[in-house]
Amino acid sequence: MTTESNTPAVVIDHCSKWYGNVIGINDISLAIDGGVTGILGPNGAGKSTLFKLLMGRLKPSSGSVRLFGVDPWESTSPYRRIGYVSETEKMYDWMTGHDFVSTLARLHGMTREEANSRAEHVMDFVGLADVQHKEIGKYSKGMRQRVKIAHALVHDPDLIVLDEPLHGCDPIARTSIMSVIRDLGEQGKTVLVSSHILDEIERITEQIVILHNGRLLALGNLHAIRDLLDKHPHRILIRTDHPRDLASAFVGSKPVYGVRFSEDDALEILTNDLSEAHSILPEIIVKSGIKVHSIENPDDNLDSLLKYLVGGDS
Amino acid sequence: MDKQGRSLSETVWTRLDRKAGAITELTVRQLRHRISTWVVLGVGMLMIMMLSAFYVDAVRDGFEPIDNDGDSEDWDGDGYPLGQERKFGTSDWDPEQYPGSGSYVQDGSIEWGDDIRTHTGNHTWEYVTGIFTPIWIDESYQGDRWSMILDFDSVNFCEEENDASEFMNSWSVGWGGGCEFENGDYAFQEVRFRGEGTLRVPRGHYAGWGHMTDVFDVEPEPASNYINEDDLDWNGNALQSQGFDDDGDCLRDDWNLGPESDFWFDKDDNNNGRDCDVIYVLGVDGVTVVNIIADENVDEDPDDEKLLGESNHRGFIVAVGKIAFVMILSIFLPLFLALGLVRDETENGTLHYLLSKPIHRGEFITYRILGYLLISGTFVFLMSLIMASVTSLLGPGDSIIRFGDIVVWVGIAFATILALTAYGALFNTLGLISSRYGVYIALVIGIYEFVMAVMTLSGATLVPVLSISHWTLQLVDSIVLIVWDDTLFMDMMSNAFGYDTILGFFWSPPAHTLGTENPYVSAIISVIVLIFITVSMIFFAQSLFKRREIM
Repeated sequence: MTTESNTPAVVIDHCSKWYGNVIGINDISLAIDGGVTGILGPNGAGKSTLFKLLMGRLKPSSGSVRLFGVDPWESTSPYRRIGYVSETEKMYDWMTGHDFVSTLARLHGMTREEANSRAEHVMDFVGLADVQHKEIGKYSKGMRQRVKIAHALVHDPDLIVLDEPLHGCDPIARTSIMSVIRDLGEQGKTVLVSSHILDEIERITEQIVILHNGRLLALGNLHAIRDLLDKHPHRILIRTDHPRDLASAFVGSKPVYGVRFSEDDALEILTNDLSEAHSILPEIIVKSGIKVHSIENPDDNLDSLLKYLVGGDS
Repeated sequence: MDKQGRSLSETVWTRLDRKAGAITELTVRQLRHRISTWVVLGVGMLMIMMLSAFYVDAVRDGFEPIDNDGDSEDWDGDGYPLGQERKFGTSDWDPEQYPGSGSYVQDGSIEWGDDIRTHTGNHTWEYVTGIFTPIWIDESYQGDRWSMILDFDSVNFCEEENDASEFMNSWSVGWGGGCEFENGDYAFQEVRFRGEGTLRVPRGHYAGWGHMTDVFDVEPEPASNYINEDDLDWNGNALQSQGFDDDGDCLRDDWNLGPESDFWFDKDDNNNGRDCDVIYVLGVDGVTVVNIIADENVDEDPDDEKLLGESNHRGFIVAVGKIAFVMILSIFLPLFLALGLVRDETENGTLHYLLSKPIHRGEFITYRILGYLLISGTFVFLMSLIMASVTSLLGPGDSIIRFGDIVVWVGIAFATILALTAYGALFNTLGLISSRYGVYIALVIGIYEFVMAVMTLSGATLVPVLSISHWTLQLVDSIVLIVWDDTLFMDMMSNAFGYDTILGFFWSPPAHTLGTENPYVSAIISVIVLIFITVSMIFFAQSLFKRREIM
């Protein structure tokens, strides 16, 4: 199935959602069509609210949501073209993976035979062909996530919405799920993936939407945002037994504008150009002859990004 | 047209079918995977099995002749059954009185205000309060306190020794008792005794005297003479006088009753100018009997095997159909199986799998109820078939299989399934209204429905119309009457002749027939009401669910 009209898959127009006095999302407008888009935000940023609005589970307090031009609160017709993977871990544990996917496929109007063959296909696509006839209750966390993804893909949707699909998965499962999501993007589907971990999204897509406290904070290419971030004050934390000796080796280096001793065995280097700082770092350490235990970038996470984007000190 | 040449409407319907099939199947499988489902169905099955075992046991014992009018009982243990005692005007509550025992005839009395307050003679004295100076007294004349015959074993010396006149001013013997003075006189209060002597009765008190008639021998009749002794006499012609007092307990022609001991008895209760007969009232069609009015004690103890066997067999079916199927299964199954049809999905967090598919929430509710009905309805149908196979094979009659039984059981299953649908829709809605308190509201409604059903069974037709159970029970009554059109006649006989049948207790003619007294009309009305309740409950649930935000 492909997008048949020029209507974007997702259009959100000045949409707000309030739960009584508590705000879920606040005046968000965006349009998404094609490719993988990461929805980034810490817990409580409004990612799930946004997805529930998309899936017609919630009614916007103001503004509008349109999927392929149709309001999902009023009509179920967009669901023919949408696959949704919720964040919930609850499933019908007594069913087999294949059963789960094929039963739900029949809700798209497929015959039993169509549903079975589609279920086999998508279970294979998510890498669960071998275990598809085992009960879901016996699946690992990662396998369960992949069954959920399979059920969302069974009707070959144009838009796939995945709410925290990597949450709680082990590294192997993460890699496998990430690869599935990238494949979908490459197939030309519109994919929305939410996460509160920057690194996860970075490995899947460059196109991101950042939500914070219910507001749309940033929208665009992750690298551009990152570059922007790199040009701003940044910390590098070096753990060593001789932080003061190492500090003297950095004095005078171009990208470094200051040093700080936050702990007895650590040195904080302050820089305005993170990549430049990292490029000169090895040479300086080798020259100094001081043993270094670890090098960390404490600001290279979503919190720091958000702090920076909302105008706080990073 | 689609690729396979189907029209648009056909394609839409086919897809709907598939979705309906998928959700219905999912619901069935979910219910099948719940232990509570099996427990509830198991308990229901056990109940039905026990009831059929009860029936089999009853059949094995046969239809023992029943003494419908109770006149074979010998309540006082004197060896004479009530029917025989009645003929002689003796009491079946007093072992001293029995046919031939002789009866007391009063000869005279001292009334409360009479001037002459002394009497001398040889009598049987009764209700005596006074001082008796005996020539002889029969101390062996015994009886209990209730027959008022003085028990001489309990007679002691009076406290006021010789002064009887003073004693009479302050009477203190006690009701039904007496005491003896040293001079041999007795003080009595309200007693009966035999003796010769002089009686003094204080003013304001009473004493009577008389004699017992001769004792003669009457052979006690066996109790069986008074069982099935007055069969139904009805030749089908309502224009003729019907009914015959076979045992003579209405006509009383040859009864040996004294003029005073016979109580007033109306031999023409039904006021048609004929003693001891039965009126069969025909309806407007001139064929159907619509009422039976019998004189008392006519045709009141018929041949049970012939008449009441059938009536009790039907009564058993109606009783099990109404109580086990309608009042228990149709209320309890939905309470366990339907309450959480949508609520549990919300609580388990699995609802979004289903609602993220192109299916309307309203449709979803309908298909869920359909799934629940497949399980509960199949169960009820199977249970009715079990009962049908037992009663149709073992019931009275010459045929090997009573086909009527099977039709009635299928009808009971149909009525129960309609009730299951209505209750299912109602309880599912309650689960939607309040996931936390829905179960309590459902329990209260379950009890209300049960009480309304009991009221319906006891004949109420006004208040219970506000219940599902009332209409279901009326549907069962209608179906029974449609299949066995002589049920009304049997029921009328139960009422007219006082037959104590199970049918008379559990079956009643359908009340809501719009004045036609046609069971088809009441059946159709009941079905319409039940479907209306179901549809409105589903609509209500749908509108509730459609506008609900799912967190």
